[in-house]
Amino acid sequence: MKQILAVDDSMSMRMLLRASLTAAGFKVEEAEDGRAALEWLDNNSPTLVITDINMPRLDGFGLIAELRARDRFRDIPVLVLTTESSPEKKARAREAGATGWIVKPFDPEKLAAAVRRVTH
Amino acid sequence: MAPEDIQQIFLQECEEGLASAEEALLTIKAGAHDQETINTIFRAVHSIKGGAGAFGFLALQSFTHHFETVLDKARDGELLLDAALTELLISAFDVLADHVAAIRGAGDAPDDAAMIDALRTALTIKPAAGAAAPGPQAPALSFDLGTMMAALSQEPDPDPSGIAPSDATASDGDDTSDGQAEWEIMFAPTGGDLINGAEPLLVIRELIELGGRIVSVNADRVPPVDAFDPAAAYVTWRLRLPGTLDEARVREPFDFVSDPASVAIARAPGSPVADHVAPRPQTDPAAGGRPVPAAEPLPDNVVRLERAEPVSRPAPPAAAAVADAKAKAANGATIRVDLEKLDRLVDLVGELVITQSMLSQRLLSSGMTRLEELTDLDQLTRELQDSAMAIRAQPVRSVFGRVPRIVRELEASTGKRVNLEVEGEATELDKTVIERIGEPLTHLVRNCVDHGIETPAERIACGKPPEGRLRLSAEHKGSRIVISVSDDGRGIDRARVLEIAVKRGIVPVDAKLSDEEIDQLIFAPGFSTAQQVSSISGRGVGMDVVRQNVQALGGRVTIQSTLGAGSTFALALPLTLAIVDGMIVSVADQTYIIPLTHVVESLRPERGAVQSTGFGNRMLNVRGSYLPVLGVGDKLGVAGAISEPAEAVLIVVETEGLGTAILMVDEIIDQRQVVIKSLETHYQQVEGVAGATILGDGRVALILDVEGIVALRDGTMPRLLAS
Repeated sequence: MKQILAVDDSMSMRMLLRASLTAAGFKVEEAEDGRAALEWLDNNSPTLVITDINMPRLDGFGLIAELRARDRFRDIPVLVLTTESSPEKKARAREAGATGWIVKPFDPEKLAAAVRRVTH
Repeated sequence: MAPEDIQQIFLQECEEGLASAEEALLTIKAGAHDQETINTIFRAVHSIKGGAGAFGFLALQSFTHHFETVLDKARDGELLLDAALTELLISAFDVLADHVAAIRGAGDAPDDAAMIDALRTALTIKPAAGAAAPGPQAPALSFDLGTMMAALSQEPDPDPSGIAPSDATASDGDDTSDGQAEWEIMFAPTGGDLINGAEPLLVIRELIELGGRIVSVNADRVPPVDAFDPAAAYVTWRLRLPGTLDEARVREPFDFVSDPASVAIARAPGSPVADHVAPRPQTDPAAGGRPVPAAEPLPDNVVRLERAEPVSRPAPPAAAAVADAKAKAANGATIRVDLEKLDRLVDLVGELVITQSMLSQRLLSSGMTRLEELTDLDQLTRELQDSAMAIRAQPVRSVFGRVPRIVRELEASTGKRVNLEVEGEATELDKTVIERIGEPLTHLVRNCVDHGIETPAERIACGKPPEGRLRLSAEHKGSRIVISVSDDGRGIDRARVLEIAVKRGIVPVDAKLSDEEIDQLIFAPGFSTAQQVSSISGRGVGMDVVRQNVQALGGRVTIQSTLGAGSTFALALPLTLAIVDGMIVSVADQTYIIPLTHVVESLRPERGAVQSTGFGNRMLNVRGSYLPVLGVGDKLGVAGAISEPAEAVLIVVETEGLGTAILMVDEIIDQRQVVIKSLETHYQQVEGVAGATILGDGRVALILDVEGIVALRDGTMPRLLAS
C-alpha cells in the first residue's frame, strides 16, 4: 500500500488528512513538524509527503529544502498545504521545490485528486 | 476516528492556539517581543483558519482570514508593529476568542463586521495588499461536513485509481453545456515539469480518466539517445475532452504544471458533441488525414472493444437521437475487457459452430433436409462466429501509425525523399496478428526506402520525380488481409540477386530459376543485396526474419517487382488465428488436417516415379527439384497406411526452415475451415501435431504441424512433449 507522510503541527489537520487518505486507500504516517518529519524520513521512504507550511522548529519550505538536498528525496513528490491559491503562493511553493499544493480547506475528493496527480 | 472526534481535537487546538497567542500578545504589549513572538500568533491564527475551513465554520474562517492577513504584513515588517496596531491585534484576538467560544456552543457568534473593517483599514497603508486579499473565497471553498462524513464512512477504496470515477465527471455540467464543442488541449510539458517529483504523464492519465483522448503526440523533437537530456521534455500532446465538462474541470489537471504557457485549452471548432461518442483512434482531419496513434496505450492483455451498433432500427426522431448520443457520451463508447474472457467467448463460439455442424449433419442424415430453422441456425452461428472474431479485431492503424515516423527518420539518415501514401488503415485484423506484424512491416518499409527508392539525384537522372513514392495499404481479399508495401524505386535487379545467391552458396551455379523464385531469394537466410552493409536494414538478417514472422502467423509474403519501376511486397495474413483453412486428409483410419498455408499442390505420381535413396528415404522429381517423400503414417506411427505412392496422394508442402517436401496420405477428403482447439489444454503437446479440431460428424481430427512432421524421423512414435 502506498505510504504518505502527513506533516502538520495541527493534530486535527493531521487527523483529517489521515481520515481522507485512508479512505482513498493510502497508508498514512504523521509528523508534527519538519524536524520530526526528517527524523522519520531517515528510516523510511514514503511515496509522497504532504506538508503544512507554517510549523514551529522547521517549516514546510525548510523541510522541502532539506529533502531536495538529499539524493534519496530529490524526486519525491511533495504537496504543500496552503490556505491560499493565489498564483504568487503557488510560485513560491514551486520555487521552494514543492510538486504541487492542496488548498485548505480541502474536501476528500480534491485531496485524493491532488495526490493522484503526483503519484503513479 | 469519527469526524466528530477530529472536530473535538480541533476545538482543543483552538484553545491551545488562543492561549499561546494571548501570551504572545501580552509579550508584545510589554515590548519584550521578537520575530518569533509574532510568528507564534500568526501560526495560531493560521491553524484555526485551516481547521475552520475544514469543519465548515465559515464565519470563523472569514474572520481569521482577515486577522491573518494583518498578522502576515506585521510579520514581514510591512506594517509597523506600533501601539495602535498592538491594540488592534488584541481587540481582534478577543473577537477570535468569541468566535471559538461560539462554535463550542457557549454563546452566539460575535458581530465581527466592525473588527473586519478595522483590520481592512489597517491594511490600507498598502492598498495593493487589500486587493490581494479579497476575503475568504467562501463560496469556492465552502465545504460540507456532511459530504465529508459520508465520504469518510465509506469502506476504504482498495484501488486508489477509482478515486476519480469517469462516470461522475461525465455528468459534470451535462445539464448546462449540452451540445458544446469538445475541448481541444495542447500540452507541451517543459523541463520544469520533470523536477521535484513531478510527472507530466500523470496529467495525461487524469485527462484520459476525464474521458479525454489523445489526438496526436508530437515526438519530433525527441533527440537521438546519446543526445537525450533526462531533464528536458520533448513531447507535445494534443488531446480532446468531452465538451460537456466545464472549463474549471478541464483546467484542474494542469494545476501543478510549472509553466502556464505550456498549456493551451480551447473549445474545438466544428466538433459537435456526437464527435466524442467514439473516442477511439481515428484519422484526424487536422493532422492532414494521417493516421494518429491509439487513443490510449492498453496493457497487452486488454483489447479495446467497439460499441456494437444495432444492425437495424427505425430512424429515431431527432430528440431521441440527441438523447441517444448523450447517453453514449455518458457511458463511453468503448469498454475494456480482459483478453482471457474474450478468448473464452471465442472458444465457446467455436464449440457452438462444431455442435451446430454436428447437429445439421445428423438431421440431414435422418432425412430432415428442408428444415428452415436449420438454415437459420446455420446463418446465425456463422454471424455469431464472425462477430466474436470481430471483437478481437483491431484496425491496422495502430501499426501503420508508426510508419510516418520511421520514414522521416530514414529520410534524415539517407538523404532520400519519400512521399508516404497510406490506404486502408481502418482494415481490421486479429489483435495477435496486429501485435506481431509490426516488426516485419517496419522491416519492409526500411527495406523499400533503403534499397528500393533512389537518391533524389539518381531519380532525376532516370527521369523520375526527386521524391520517391512509398505506398502502404491494407485490404480484405477473401478470408485474408493483404498488407502491401510498394515503392517506385529501382526494383529488384534479378541478375545481381542471382549472382549474390550463387556467390553465397544459396543456389547452385547452374540453377535455373523463375523470376519469382529469384525474388524469393531475398528472403533466404543470410542474403543481403546492399552494396555496403547499411546501419538501417542491410545486415542481411532482415528479410528472412520478415518471412519467418509472417509464416509463423500463417501468412505469406509475395513480391512483385519491375526493374527500374519499383517493387511491391505483399503480406497475406489470416483474419484470425482461431480458425484455419485446412485440407482434410485420411491416413488409414485416421483423419488429419493439413493447414492450407503450407500446401503448394497435390499430385499422384506414376508408378516408379518415386525413387528410393536408401535407408527408407524416397524422393520424387517435381519439375526438376528432388523432394523427399514422407509418409504421414510412417511419421506418426499409424499402421495400415497406403505405402505405394502411385496409389496414395502426394501433397507438396512448403516449410520455413526445412524447404519443400511431400507428405503422402491415403486420400483427400475435403477442404474447409476448422476451429482450432488446443491439444495442450486437453491432453498435452505432441510432436508433429499443432492442435485438434472436431469435425461435423463429431470425430476429432488432429491438425498437422507440417514443420514438425517434416523434421520427425521415420518409424518413431511421436514423442509426447513435456507440457
